Amino acid sequence: MNEGDPRKLLIDLILIGERQQAMTLLCRSAEAFGWRQTIFTLLEPALEDIGRRWEAEHISLAAGYLAGKIAEEVLLRAAEQEESLPEVKGPIILGNTEDDYHSLGRKLVAIFLRTGGWKVIDLGNDVLAEDFVEAAERHEAKIIGVSAMMLSTAENIAKIRNLLEKRGLSADIKLAVGGAVFKLRPELVAEVGGDGTAANAVDAPGLMARLLGEEARP
Amino acid sequence: MTSMERVLAALSGTPQPRPPFTLALSLYGARLSGCPLSRYFRDAESYGAGQQAVYDSFAPDILFSPFALPLEAEAFGSEVIFLPDYAPNVRKPAVRSAEAFLDLDMPDVDNHPSLLYLRQAIASTAARVHGEVPVCGILTAAVDLPAIVMGIDQWLETLLFDGDRAAAILTRCIDHFAALANAMLHDGAAFIAVPAMFTNPRLVFRRMIDDLILPAMARSFALVRGPIVFHHGGNPMVPFLEDYLDLPGVVGYAVDHRDPLGKARHLLGPEKLLLGNINGPALARLSPQRALAKVDDILHDRQDDYRFIFLNAGADIPLDTPPELLQAISRKITSYTGGM
Repeated sequence: MNEGDPRKLLIDLILIGERQQAMTLLCRSAEAFGWRQTIFTLLEPALEDIGRRWEAEHISLAAGYLAGKIAEEVLLRAAEQEESLPEVKGPIILGNTEDDYHSLGRKLVAIFLRTGGWKVIDLGNDVLAEDFVEAAERHEAKIIGVSAMMLSTAENIAKIRNLLEKRGLSADIKLAVGGAVFKLRPELVAEVGGDGTAANAVDAPGLMARLLGEEARP
Repeated sequence: MTSMERVLAALSGTPQPRPPFTLALSLYGARLSGCPLSRYFRDAESYGAGQQAVYDSFAPDILFSPFALPLEAEAFGSEVIFLPDYAPNVRKPAVRSAEAFLDLDMPDVDNHPSLLYLRQAIASTAARVHGEVPVCGILTAAVDLPAIVMGIDQWLETLLFDGDRAAAILTRCIDHFAALANAMLHDGAAFIAVPAMFTNPRLVFRRMIDDLILPAMARSFALVRGPIVFHHGGNPMVPFLEDYLDLPGVVGYAVDHRDPLGKARHLLGPEKLLLGNINGPALARLSPQRALAKVDDILHDRQDDYRFIFLNAGADIPLDTPPELLQAISRKITSYTGGM
């Protein structure tokens, strides 16, 4: 354990599954510095580190999930203390593609995006192409983020691309895609008309920033 | 030599010119028999006819029961969607909490239509090959079953934060697993194969595996009255293979396409069957030359390994895989004589 360095200690606690101790560490930091500062200087750097390890497949899905749950709890507590992060980016329309009901990845992406200051409009599971595009137009979103776990459902993402093309929106609305099948078949991103993907949920804020040509928050 | 004799020879380590081979062609039988998947995965006789067509076309040494694990979830109340080109999938989990899972009535393997279909598909397939080709029954690991009944996120949540309920759920899943596995063996399966995901440290914390998952796997396997093949479940297995060696009843280990076969054999020792390992779902994306070269590599790598069975890694071979390629793979392996 990295007792002396809170950031490293937080990472260690998440990686061994110690949710309670991780939250205690974050709460102590919040007492001293406030929730926003804790998020910017402690939680976000820890999540970035975990994201890198996740990408290199050095941590488990459970560790990534736990990181998401901790981030979610921190955001909730920050909101309770009226220290909510300003939603300075977005909005992003998020959902699982038509016929896809595997919500775990999408929920994690939503958490990490919100932690990164993005406004997220989550449409849930089994979202039709028309609903994605109409929501994007209605909310003036520049990114649609679509999750699919399997090849059978990932192919439905092409319907969103086709609709964006048909309505002349492809230049204005980027299509971010993600899910287990894209890790197994990276070429699928282009095949379904995606503009980009992230290796894991923690990397989602970076992907969205890249798609908009913006830098992630320093 | 029949396929059954060839597989039994591999089980006992008897030298033979070529290893037994099979490909996961559960789904593919529908293409060969021209059966719509909505019927193929509901009507056991249609499934059996598809597997007969698989045997007639490619002569594999092992045939499989429906690779349609969501049908087990359906028996618990999950909503299943039938797709035109893929095996059925879970559309909506039966429940969304551990508490609700524990309130579920457990499905009866002798009465529930989805489970009867799986069983009767085995019986139909076995009857058509007259015991000359072993039929493998595929079923969901007890530790994975909650993920398709309540959703992966809810099962992870339970494992992470509610150990007592996780243990109670596993106890119920163990009973179901054992009942279905033994029913499959009774109906004609020569052995069962168990793809396992939540046994892998890529998914869950190590301590969770040691404290809860592996003991549950061991308890479930100990109740099965027949041989078991432990399947990688879509993740590399070799880095963790030693953890699984003491599971009762396991005669063989089916490894991932990313797993080195030589290292797998080294870890397994000489007595266990090793099955692997070309990437089945990706076959259609390989050129025939590349696919056959990979088959060649595997055969040469394992030429002195008499407890090796050639099996594709991953899930079912997709419908768009050219039959000519599968026939070429079959010919390459069945004409191989480098083992003696």
